[in-house]
Amino acid sequence: MNKTIILAKSHFRKNKGTTIGLLCLMLIAVMLLSASLLLIFDAYPLATREAQRLDSGSGRVRIYNNLTDIDEEFIDELLADDCVRYDVQDCLCYNAIPVPFGNGKATVSLVVDDGSAFQKEMGRTEVVTEDTGITSDYIYLPYQFYTSGGYDIGDTYSFDLLDRTYDLTVRGFTTTPYYGCNNVGGFEVVVDDGTYAELTDIDGEEYACLCVVYELKDGVKNSRFEIGINDKVIARNPRALVSPMSIEFTNEQRTFMSKIIAVSFLVVTLVIFLVVFLMLTNCITNYIKENMKTLGALKAIGYTSSNIRSSLLVLFGSCALLGALIGIVLSYAIMPYIASFAIAQMGIPYEVSFNAFTSVISLAAIVLFTCIVTSIAVIKVKRIEPIVALREGTESHNFRKNRFALNKSALNLDFSLAMKTMCFNMKQNVITFFVIGIIMFLCTIALLMYYNFNKKPKLEILTFEICSGVVAVNPDTSDDLEAYLESRDDVSNIHQIIDTWFTYNGEDSLKVYICDDTGKLKNQDICYEGRLPFYDNEIAISGRFASDYGYEIGNEIPMTYGDDTYTYLITGLIQTTNEAGRQAVMSFDGAGHLMDFEFVPGYYWFDCDDAETTAAVIDDCSEKFGDHIVSTMNFNEILEGSMTTFKGLAAMMLVFICIISAALILLVLYLLIKAFIFAKRKDYGIYKAIGYTSNSLILQTALSFMPSIIVSVALFSVASYFLANPYMNVIMMSFGIVKSNFVIPVPGLAAIALGVVVISFLFAMFEARKIKNIEAYNMLLAE
Amino acid sequence: MKNIIETRKLCKTFSNGGVQQHVLKNLDLQIREGDFTVIMGPSGAGKSTLLYALSGMDKPTLGQVVFSGKDITKMSSDKLAVFRRTHCGFVFQQTYLVDSMSVMDNVLSAGLLISKNKAEVTKKAEQILKSVDISEDKWGKFPTQISGGEAQRVGIARALINKPELVFADEPTGALNSKTGKDVLDALTKFNRDGQSIVMVTHDITSARRGNRILYVRDGEIAGELDLGAYVSGDKDRHQKLRDFLGGMGW
Repeated sequence: MNKTIILAKSHFRKNKGTTIGLLCLMLIAVMLLSASLLLIFDAYPLATREAQRLDSGSGRVRIYNNLTDIDEEFIDELLADDCVRYDVQDCLCYNAIPVPFGNGKATVSLVVDDGSAFQKEMGRTEVVTEDTGITSDYIYLPYQFYTSGGYDIGDTYSFDLLDRTYDLTVRGFTTTPYYGCNNVGGFEVVVDDGTYAELTDIDGEEYACLCVVYELKDGVKNSRFEIGINDKVIARNPRALVSPMSIEFTNEQRTFMSKIIAVSFLVVTLVIFLVVFLMLTNCITNYIKENMKTLGALKAIGYTSSNIRSSLLVLFGSCALLGALIGIVLSYAIMPYIASFAIAQMGIPYEVSFNAFTSVISLAAIVLFTCIVTSIAVIKVKRIEPIVALREGTESHNFRKNRFALNKSALNLDFSLAMKTMCFNMKQNVITFFVIGIIMFLCTIALLMYYNFNKKPKLEILTFEICSGVVAVNPDTSDDLEAYLESRDDVSNIHQIIDTWFTYNGEDSLKVYICDDTGKLKNQDICYEGRLPFYDNEIAISGRFASDYGYEIGNEIPMTYGDDTYTYLITGLIQTTNEAGRQAVMSFDGAGHLMDFEFVPGYYWFDCDDAETTAAVIDDCSEKFGDHIVSTMNFNEILEGSMTTFKGLAAMMLVFICIISAALILLVLYLLIKAFIFAKRKDYGIYKAIGYTSNSLILQTALSFMPSIIVSVALFSVASYFLANPYMNVIMMSFGIVKSNFVIPVPGLAAIALGVVVISFLFAMFEARKIKNIEAYNMLLAE
Repeated sequence: MKNIIETRKLCKTFSNGGVQQHVLKNLDLQIREGDFTVIMGPSGAGKSTLLYALSGMDKPTLGQVVFSGKDITKMSSDKLAVFRRTHCGFVFQQTYLVDSMSVMDNVLSAGLLISKNKAEVTKKAEQILKSVDISEDKWGKFPTQISGGEAQRVGIARALINKPELVFADEPTGALNSKTGKDVLDALTKFNRDGQSIVMVTHDITSARRGNRILYVRDGEIAGELDLGAYVSGDKDRHQKLRDFLGGMGW
């Protein structure tokens, strides 16, 4: 053992730079692995942990719109058979209300409670932070308003309810299992008793709501229970609306972003592991080649192959161990920053704490990985014969073609010599090619995310349809609104879409978008296979739902609404992140088989040229139709609010991947060029002796790496352009997106490609400056 | 004849673990144009150190090396490199050809440093390779595919491609057998007869006979000098004269 350590120390002394370079690579890999594992195993389950802590039960049902005949006795009757326990809370509920959030507005269901919300037995709402000095006209907002909504305690929160404006002081932030996140589609706020009383006086009848948090008995399926509740409530009061939400669904929606971050981190980590693998193998092979004489001498004086192999294993294993320990410490240091983006969407307070499991996995992964790679790479030590090694090994001369002959080459001397060097260093070229290629792919993904989530947000993946605005009116004025909109020259593409819930076989439910003309939908990408329904017997269902229940295009599927069931022909498969991908589309005629539109408000979607025109149209409609307006929505206004967290994530990913890419290029070129200069030191001495300057040799060396970098950048740019969407499809599949069609801006990709080439060249020049230290005379003496 | 190089109080000291070794001591020397100067001396006398100090490959500790009127000891590494490419040619004991380049490219790699005219430099390289008896079929081969003697002659061709004012040869036959060593010396002699100035360090009396001026270095100083006159093949007196000189120097 002692011999092994002495040898390992000797190897380290001879290869300090390389060992430290590898240590840095391992450190980065472990840091990312540990951070992504913390995201997956600690931050990501945060929503579930918090839900359990707040006693969320199995789900929550909101009953609203009209609560006639919905009393406590009925609720008891409704839940007695299937639930172990439940808790009912009176509140106010405003559906599809645009509320200020982030840099814009988020359209959500706004549940307004009074102080009694803090006394709930189930699905508790707890204060995270507050200023009790604020005693009147205050509001408690969900914690997400603090993490990504841009609000702090003491700020004034101004929001409109119908045609009234409220200015309330933020007294604190709360955590709640159900309506604490804009991705869930709802915010639960708590206001002071005075404000609540005022709201109750004005809206008490129309917007009263019962929130029932329940815990199901073992064996009761939530989706069946939700359908049963819906049917029973509607049977009791057809004008009541029911909105069920299981805790699983809530958490799934709430962790959408952290899942993307965690998966992205994991992919980046795996890619870096691949780079570590390539570099480790290359370094060990180079080490053996460069130290052949020493290894031969060691063998000659009695060291066995296994002594030498063990020493290399100890050296690189220790390097991995040290890199892992530092990497794990650093992962905890960067975790608050990374987690801040993940929890920004969840809106749950999170403190990073030590997680033994993720640390041990990270440490074991790099140490085992290094030991395995080292064990395989050092096998050739056994084959080294001392006498052959002492003669510098059996270096087989490569009698390849004399490429870039100086008398025939069209390039100038420096370029020609650089190309010659390149041709004789194919191993380095191959490594550079793949490493740069991997980096290009990562950068393309970062660019895709930045462009589609930040620069030009691809709303299609977040919503069913995109347009400039929506105006909804009572059924009796629906035709008038349509006529009015049609009469305006500044409004185009007017179409009607309403949504409701249908059930399937009493087992599951689907949110069905009912359109008057599916051809007018701007988001035609929603149907990724087949076509959108046209005739009254047709339906398009989500791919995820189809896959869960074994349906294909051309099959017939029964849909139930209330007591009626009708069988539709599936014409297409749609994709959406909403409702966990459980959605469907059909025409008004199709839905007419099951439902009566007499009491359904008319929702008119339309387009305008700009945000100002949209606002003007909405204002004019509000003025013209007054009390008949059910709701309005200005997409331009809610865009910023809805995209706040997505934008932050995308920018963070771009910055993060750019930094990691630059670090990888720097480290990889450092290791490759260092080994290359060492191996070619004799040639550099000769060149210097015959009159080449250091700058000329530095340029040649840097240029020799460029062809593989340029070819890699070119090929992988094209490959990434075509592979980025399929890759995103794999990541997005669990959110219900099958065919994402994200835009990859070619100028942006070209800029990244150029950036990678320029950065690589500059780094290569920087690393190759060590050639200055080579003196011809010293080289001659050394020989 | 005018001097190409003149050293003034040239000193070179090596430090090793705090111990200083004065290899060259206040050495004053002139190298004349057209001479085939041979530097001899016992091992450790400072022959190679002197050669590399004269050529600007190594910097002296003190003193000046005035080469074609310029003090090269004041030049930076890169300026020295440019100076070497223009004024000097080198032939080493190990041939020091670049293994990854063909014979022709090894010669051109030096030639193209001075002239950008590829056709002209290639023609010059062909002529010079022919003049050192490297046949055309070897031009495309790599250094490891030709014999040691051939490789050393390629080294001479590389040293001469830019028509340097002075060629420095450090034990050019040291790694060769007598037959191939003779070919190399014949080549150097031929070029010297054509007016090429050469400074050669050697241990070998047979090689030293080729020079017209013999300098004997001992303990970092020029201990003696012999004028042998122009080399004539088969001149036995010349050999004896050299032996006597070396004997007198304690060789």
